[in-house]
Amino acid sequence: MKKRNEPKAYLYLAPAILIAAVFWWFPAAKGLVESFLKVNQAGKVLGFAGFSNYMMLFRDKAFLNSLSVTLRFILLFVPVNTLITLLAASLTRRPSRFSSIPEYIFFSPVAISLSAYSLLMKEIFRGTASVANRLLGTGSGWITEPAGAMATLVILGVFLDFGLDYMILMCAFRSIDRNVIEAARMDGAGGWRLFFQIELPLIRETVSATVFLALKDAILISAPIMILTEGGPYRSTETLMFYYYIEAFKSGNRAVQNALSSLVLIVATVAMAVFGSLRRRAR
Amino acid sequence: MANKRFIAFALVVVAMASVFAAGTAEKANRTVTIWHSAQGSNTAAFEEIIDDFNSTIGKENGIVVEAIYQGKANDVLTKVNAASGTGTLPDIAMMDATAATDMNHSEHLVTVNELGIDTSDILECGISSYTSEKGLLALPFNASALLYYYNRTLYDSLGVEPPRTLDEMAEVVSRTGTAEISGFAGVPATFELSTFIGAQKGCSYMLNNRNGHDGAATEVLFGKEGTFKAFLEKWKAIYDTGRYNAISSGVTAEFTAGRTAAMLASSSNLASVIANVAGGFEVGVAKVPMVDEQATGGTVISGGALFAFRNDDEVRMVLEYLVSADVQAKWSEQTGYVPVNTKAYSTDAYRSFLERNPLYRVAMDSLLDSDAGLANVWVPSAYSIYYSFQSTIVDVLNGKDIDTAVDEMVAIVDGAIAAYASQN
Repeated sequence: MKKRNEPKAYLYLAPAILIAAVFWWFPAAKGLVESFLKVNQAGKVLGFAGFSNYMMLFRDKAFLNSLSVTLRFILLFVPVNTLITLLAASLTRRPSRFSSIPEYIFFSPVAISLSAYSLLMKEIFRGTASVANRLLGTGSGWITEPAGAMATLVILGVFLDFGLDYMILMCAFRSIDRNVIEAARMDGAGGWRLFFQIELPLIRETVSATVFLALKDAILISAPIMILTEGGPYRSTETLMFYYYIEAFKSGNRAVQNALSSLVLIVATVAMAVFGSLRRRAR
Repeated sequence: MANKRFIAFALVVVAMASVFAAGTAEKANRTVTIWHSAQGSNTAAFEEIIDDFNSTIGKENGIVVEAIYQGKANDVLTKVNAASGTGTLPDIAMMDATAATDMNHSEHLVTVNELGIDTSDILECGISSYTSEKGLLALPFNASALLYYYNRTLYDSLGVEPPRTLDEMAEVVSRTGTAEISGFAGVPATFELSTFIGAQKGCSYMLNNRNGHDGAATEVLFGKEGTFKAFLEKWKAIYDTGRYNAISSGVTAEFTAGRTAAMLASSSNLASVIANVAGGFEVGVAKVPMVDEQATGGTVISGGALFAFRNDDEVRMVLEYLVSADVQAKWSEQTGYVPVNTKAYSTDAYRSFLERNPLYRVAMDSLLDSDAGLANVWVPSAYSIYYSFQSTIVDVLNGKDIDTAVDEMVAIVDGAIAAYASQN
């Protein structure tokens, strides 16, 4: 019976597989092959390049800079994002008569488009006479200064991820078996202890999933940068993907395009495999 | 039964689709598609010009122009490059000088010479800025020039005149700047440097082959000719006044908010700057200060041009219309661009416009007084190099040794040129 259904299952999967093959697997494979070839701007293959495309990439100061910017962003964004969403979800984790109000508010960022948010942030932090400065009483240039631009980007990143992460974490909190919590309460665990020793360990898997999502977003961030800072000031917010965008789409540099996309693919595959096996072992 | 009905239905759909396809194919030849980059209030002005064409010349000749806004000039280039291999190119694309390197190598581009358009009335520096070894790549459409914008109300109250040289600028910046208001804001990049370096010794180039116009550039000149160094030394002196705000974005917003007394910007921003200042103070514009007394070359022309990808009478007719004296006069009045057709200067409409708006004359005079040999820079990886120039200048302002900075910048541009040459 099981066997007979198998071809049918593949038939249903075929459209998805076809789309993945045409838009993901084939371009990725092509990029990987071409990263070892010399390709001109029009896409014509001129000859074998060996590892010279990769070597060119690692000699480019702008590329090395984008690596360090991305790393800095990950180190700032992932912990801040995890803490804030976890805090919001834990504060509203008990359903009550009015809990739908904060739920709606916290979930609402999901409904607004990424570009709209980025433009809004740009307006709020623009110049020294900015809305942010008036509200906070600060005199900082925000997006015109390297540190301020990075901070603005982290704030924007948190806003963009907040809604979804909040929803995932809150659902996890609420799906904890009531019996466990009541048993803990009867044993005298309350407040902090209940949270840190019972509830948090129980949703550990979900937290690690949101961390993973945040990590993915941090590595791939590019569109908010295009709108908010354009990599500036002075390349201080030029992340890996924004560097890729400039070289591949603005400069038409196929060598960088193929080498970098293949590199990211390889690193991501390895990272996923490691992350997956770590999680399996933790279980 | 149901299957048969479905097959019959499908056949009808296919038959209908092919009829429509044939219809559009026939129509397509009479339709001229333009991807443009006229932003903000310029969009309406451009569409009005196109509507005028469609209801007059277009109607008489059965040509319909379809104008599609595709973002900034650089975005249009990104889209044109993406469409190049797919047969979905527009007939005409409005782009700027950053497109020249790519278009010079494009097999789809139709040069102005191939179209057989008479360009004897077109601004000389406009022609030279889009001429390569292949001929005239694009028809200039918007001309603009870099200008020194200043807060005239503030300058007048202090009895200060806009600076003529960078030495004077250092003095002016220290006099007009305070702890709250900077005397000058903004960090130059490729566009500003093409003028600061180009004007030196009467006429200089950043790269060989006339900045890459007479064949791809193979050598960096701004290092060994000392032109970048000369600029950096003077610019550092301005920074050292302590009244210089080294920001690379939001400069115009600072200026219109009255938080900086001066900035450099293209003349194409004039209308929007005046609108945003909204009477808060009087806006003044002047020619770009010279690096030194020998830097007499003037200002490099900037602005957009029309690149063609189809060679026929319809496209030629549309292009000729767009650069005709009347259309140029009208376009300039509404946008503040300098007309590219020199005959437009003598139209009554444009003359009276200049009388009413004397600020617009500065850019025109700047361009007419400039050495026609001056050329904008055609360099691969233009976007990336733009950022490198800014970073290099800021490094120097923060104390980096000028000779080291120049050497590093030369190496970056050399690297981009070599990478491009090896790939193309």
